[in-house]
Amino acid sequence: MKGVYLGIDVGSVTTKIAAIDDQAGMVFTRYIRTNGQPLESVKQSLRELRNELGELNVLGVGTTGSGRQLVGIMVGADVVKNEITAHATATVFQYPKVRTIFEIGGQDSKIIVVQDGVVVDFAMNTVCAAGTGSFLDHQAERLKVPIEQFGELALKAKKDVRIAGRCTVFAESDMIAKQQFGFSKAEIIKGLCEALVRNYINNLGRGKRLEPPFVFQGGVAANQGIRAAFEKEMGCEIIVPNHAGNMGSIGVALIVRDYIQETGVPTKFRGFDVAELEFVPSSFECSGCSNHCEIVKVELNSKMIAAWGDRCGKWTNNTI
Amino acid sequence: MKVSFPYMGTPIGYKKIAALLGHEVIDPPKPTQRTIDLGVKYSPEFACFPMKVLLGSYIEAIELGADTLISSGGHGPCRAGFYGEVQSKILRSMGYDVDLIIFDSIKRDFLGFYRKVKKIKGKHSWRDVWYTLKFSYHTIKILDFLEQQIETVRAYEVHKGQSTKVWEMIEKKIDGAYSDAELDRVKKEAQEMIDEIKLVQVPEEQKIRIGIVGEIYVVMESSVNMRVEERLGELGCEVRRSQYLSEWVDFNLIPARFSPSREPEILRKGEKYIEIIIGGHAKQNMGAIVDYKEQGFDGIVHLMPFGCLPELISQSIMPKVSEDLDIPVLTLSLDEQTGRANSLTRLEAFVDLIRTRKNGKCIIQVS
Ligand code: SF4
Ligand code: SF4
Repeated sequence: MKGVYLGIDVGSVTTKIAAIDDQAGMVFTRYIRTNGQPLESVKQSLRELRNELGELNVLGVGTTGSGRQLVGIMVGADVVKNEITAHATATVFQYPKVRTIFEIGGQDSKIIVVQDGVVVDFAMNTVCAAGTGSFLDHQAERLKVPIEQFGELALKAKKDVRIAGRCTVFAESDMIAKQQFGFSKAEIIKGLCEALVRNYINNLGRGKRLEPPFVFQGGVAANQGIRAAFEKEMGCEIIVPNHAGNMGSIGVALIVRDYIQETGVPTKFRGFDVAELEFVPSSFECSGCSNHCEIVKVELNSKMIAAWGDRCGKWTNNTI
Repeated sequence: MKVSFPYMGTPIGYKKIAALLGHEVIDPPKPTQRTIDLGVKYSPEFACFPMKVLLGSYIEAIELGADTLISSGGHGPCRAGFYGEVQSKILRSMGYDVDLIIFDSIKRDFLGFYRKVKKIKGKHSWRDVWYTLKFSYHTIKILDFLEQQIETVRAYEVHKGQSTKVWEMIEKKIDGAYSDAELDRVKKEAQEMIDEIKLVQVPEEQKIRIGIVGEIYVVMESSVNMRVEERLGELGCEVRRSQYLSEWVDFNLIPARFSPSREPEILRKGEKYIEIIIGGHAKQNMGAIVDYKEQGFDGIVHLMPFGCLPELISQSIMPKVSEDLDIPVLTLSLDEQTGRANSLTRLEAFVDLIRTRKNGKCIIQVS
């Protein structure tokens, strides 16, 4: 049986999973929509993994992304890591010389500055949608262009048009105005890509020295229009890795591989059968004090196995 | 008088003064979401975050029956100087009849300070007052001394959460101590409790020390800063704050000649980055960062309340300071809408960054 390390990256929009062998060779990757159901999407990816590769000997499993705790509990993760470290680990592994990582996902985006293979600075954005994939999704819908063709179309633009896009609302009204001036769809799209990149660099890159080599990853990296816009903005080649959308999951798989190989501890992975177990996440409001914390808890066989969201430790400290 | 005070770290020090001077003390509630909501609702929108939470705290204390509220003011040209006035006005317009007594630095306004003390003093002799002040100063000195130990051991505790529990017990004990002898006894007990916390041995070169700087209220009050000290402790970091109550007293209330305060020195160290006092603790923060670097700290967490001008200025020079001193800085902005999950992720990543930088390789902390 093949020994693998699993990395699972659960974001609010997409769920990514990667399996690597003990030489860090890529065995499997998958990228699917979360559809608001992180547990379900992970179960589904695990099933697909098993169906495609047969029985595997899982040596370790790590989780990352905004759903990392929840999913970590479900699968029995050995390592639960934040997205920034996970992403940077994968990039540095593939491109040891990288200096700047651009990561744009569905709901958030980051810039990670690396020096000698070590993260030295980062910025992360989760509040403003103007620099993320959902901005593009939204505009694609408006323009009635499937998001998959968005990037390609942008490359066909003949003229430049500048779309003022400090925020989504402005970008939208400006876009309408420019359409009325008679710019083509391709040109508008190109303008939008450039607006997104400008926003992103202005918001996240402020006060940072951004130096090449640049690596661009995350779900949005598949969009050639954005990549071209980055190349224009930075005046330099931008590397897009093969598994650009899966870098977080690959990173956490690498981290768990290191951890297990170094410590030699056996994995806590619950096995592929978790796909059949009933984990029930729910939330309630604690009335212990006037903080009224929104507590998220997970039950297995109607026993609470994890909880978080409290501000005082009342719930988090009382679970295994 | 029924006296209360807002939380800014533990309020035990104030409590002693009021109780020893014969006032009925209303134990203030620790700020919660409700406090913040109340404060936000009744404050001008543009007010800074600490002002809103303080107002909320006053309202809650009044609801519990307080008729006099005591707090310490801020200094410099930032809004803190006007807080008292604005808040009194708001409280009055809400129909509350309370006395809001705000102590500013004695060095700035001696007469004002004197008048305020006189008000609280009641019929007690000045000798009593002197004793009371001394006693409560002694109390907060002990508290700060013990808390700093907790801030160290929390990073290495074997049983997660134990240090915090011990600290809560210590606070209760000290809260109940009302004589010098009792205080000494409690201090010894507390020390034993701290010494009994089981620790993981971590090699010296792997230890991580982080300094927390920023606006005084959000630095000192854990309920509005996502309990950042505990979070860092859980991630295996020792922490120190740029602000401790006893240090505030040392600098602001004790004549320079007798004061053990390091603040003048810290201010001098900050000169290079911010020349003048621009309000809040912006300049002190710069000095504190220089000082932490000199002491060999590994990183700085900078807490910035939303709507705070001085800290906004600090934030804008932070990249330069960080580069100059070669020390990583993470700025967290705090307000009523702060997304906690997001800030915690950033905190975690920041600690990874420091750990990797320090050890050349990330020694994995399984969390
Ligand atoms: S979890 Fe703790 S802080 Fe939150 S409402 Fe309950 S008792 Fe209060
Ligand atoms: S230092 Fe900042 S937060 Fe504090 S009172 Fe002044 S403006 Fe407000």
